[in-house]
Amino acid sequence: MTTNKDADAQAKTIALLRDLKVLIVEDSDAMRALLTALLTAMGITHISCAQEGDAGLKRFTEIMPDLVITDGMMKPTTGYAMTRAIRNLRTPDNKPAPGSDVPVLMLSGHGEPHIVKWARDGGVTDYIVKPVTAELLLARVLAAISSPIHIVETATYRGPSPRRRLVPHEATLTPPVKSQS
Amino acid sequence: MQNTPTPATFIRLPSIAERKLGPDYCAPVRLDPRVLDQMQRTIEQLAVQYGQTLHSQINDLLSMITDATADNLYIRDKFYGIIHDVRGLAGTFGHPIVGKFAKSLCRYMETCTNLNPTIVRFHIEAMRDALEDAHPDEKLSDETLTSLAHLIEAAEHESETARESETG
Repeated sequence: MTTNKDADAQAKTIALLRDLKVLIVEDSDAMRALLTALLTAMGITHISCAQEGDAGLKRFTEIMPDLVITDGMMKPTTGYAMTRAIRNLRTPDNKPAPGSDVPVLMLSGHGEPHIVKWARDGGVTDYIVKPVTAELLLARVLAAISSPIHIVETATYRGPSPRRRLVPHEATLTPPVKSQS
Repeated sequence: MQNTPTPATFIRLPSIAERKLGPDYCAPVRLDPRVLDQMQRTIEQLAVQYGQTLHSQINDLLSMITDATADNLYIRDKFYGIIHDVRGLAGTFGHPIVGKFAKSLCRYMETCTNLNPTIVRFHIEAMRDALEDAHPDEKLSDETLTSLAHLIEAAEHESETARESETG
């Protein structure tokens, strides 16, 4: 049964998603199309895309998204390098640029610990190992936009704590079930 | 000399939801379960087209094996790009076993400079068979993956031995 409180919370979430600006940085045409379709199905209407890190950074400064979803390995500039560049953006008076604390959700085919660590140290907020499922993407996007943003600032780094434990989220996939006939 | 730790400042910023919805926002964000159904239907709709794309990608890969395993770096790069794409997408669209073989081949290509055409071909053929079989056997696929891993290990050992005998 849905209570008035639930309905109110859901209406707020719908409004939030409708207002959310998302930047997808992904070199695979098919993956970009899939992510765009899934975010659209979630009710997100402001979706911008770029095909690699340099173009992604340029698009980032143009639209100032609320959430970045990026691939890891791309040419010429990777999602890891782009995330570092976003975290290091500065205003002319050398203060952290607005938006440089944006949640960055990385979608990568690589779940090896050293690569996840590299992503974490570069300032990635959350890490999903491909292949992605609808359930996993929905959960991680909602977590990214609803969690408070904790930033660590040192002389050489500004971003999510590089000492935190970044758990790569992985979907459980099973092949189609055999029919009994 | 004493090692002084770098001073660090910890800052808590409001979530994106708090910023957008203002002070009356309360976690967790709730969404109608029908949104997930809609997302899953979206994947099902795209899966039909993806199945055809995957079929033609596998045919392309089969025709590229000779060049990709020789010294043609352009083709090898293109070949790896397709495999990497399959690794990332096949599972989402209901072909997890195809994705597993693609993952194994990706790793092989990432770690080995002299690619063995037979090992590459076996991977692609296993991907093709898993795609053509409407109900691929997971256990059999796992056994095939183990055999491929042994083949890779043997090929690596062989090339290492060859390198050692070359250097004396």
